Amino acid sequence: MIRKDAVKIVCKYLKEEIIVSANGFISRDVYSSLEKNTNFYMIGSMGLASSIGLGIALKKPNKKIFVFDGDGNILMNLGSIVTIGSLQPNNLIHIIFDNKIHESTGGQPTHSHKNNLSKIAKINNYTVFSANTKKSLENILKKIRKIKGPILIHVHIIKSEERSSRVNILPEKITTRFMKAIK
Amino acid sequence: MNEKIQRKIFQYFKKNKIENFVGVPDSTLKHFIDEGLKCKKILIANREEEAIGIGAGMILAGSPTVMFMQNAGFANSISTITSLIQLYKIPIIFLIGWRGYLKDDAPEHEKIGKIQPKLLKNLELENRIMKDNTWEKDCKWALSKIKKKIPVALVIRREFLD
Repeated sequence: MIRKDAVKIVCKYLKEEIIVSANGFISRDVYSSLEKNTNFYMIGSMGLASSIGLGIALKKPNKKIFVFDGDGNILMNLGSIVTIGSLQPNNLIHIIFDNKIHESTGGQPTHSHKNNLSKIAKINNYTVFSANTKKSLENILKKIRKIKGPILIHVHIIKSEERSSRVNILPEKITTRFMKAIK
Repeated sequence: MNEKIQRKIFQYFKKNKIENFVGVPDSTLKHFIDEGLKCKKILIANREEEAIGIGAGMILAGSPTVMFMQNAGFANSISTITSLIQLYKIPIIFLIGWRGYLKDDAPEHEKIGKIQPKLLKNLELENRIMKDNTWEKDCKWALSKIKKKIPVALVIRREFLD
């Protein structure tokens, strides 16, 4: 399964749920799969998508927050898993698309090759699911509807040349429309 | 800045509808943080950048937030400040403890303490140094700025050695 297809599958199961997407190709894929006002495309500040998602989740307990993260991103802010695990927001679904490389910068390896991000989330009291195929990802997305967070969906993906177009909205506009939409 | 004023600053923000105080502890600000802990309003993050991410999320959810940190941690976060807070115009108040303000502070604070005012200036982050006789005016100024969607910094100098 490649990143773009995996992102598309997750988006198929979402309607108005809040999405916070990590910088790089992940935000681009979300933008081309399910563009809506309740998306926060984080184009800079690498590593912080899950922290932004946590802040929203704590203040909007009646809304579901989906964080679209990458292995390179979360490894840059690994402490976030500890904080989320400690605060236990039950409306936070943290999805890590793990290709074991920094795909957006040319495919350099990350350390998720030898370390299992699922295990790290598990010892921090996440409910953890792992998907290797499109079918298993779909099954997980159906299953999590009735499960309390924090949930990690660890999606194993392979490298691909597929690129989505850039997020073509001014960051300031992303902020104002997002705040209005989730009020 | 003495204990009594630091506690007053916290209560002033709380009374003026700041709902969250997120950051990383700093000894210069310890009474401010202690007052917040007593009120169960403090969220402590592992690193300053993480704190800024969480605080930004809270503000995006419509909940006004103050971020507290030491100037060393503020310096850690420059890219986050430019590419998240300033780029997305997220109205946040930074409360920064200024280590290295005194010339004989610990050596690790010397360099960063020396460039602290220049750092804020180069970031084009509007800021004020809070003093015992100006703090209320400074806090009021900061609150008026975030209403206009402008992120700002309030600085408290470390005026003692330990």
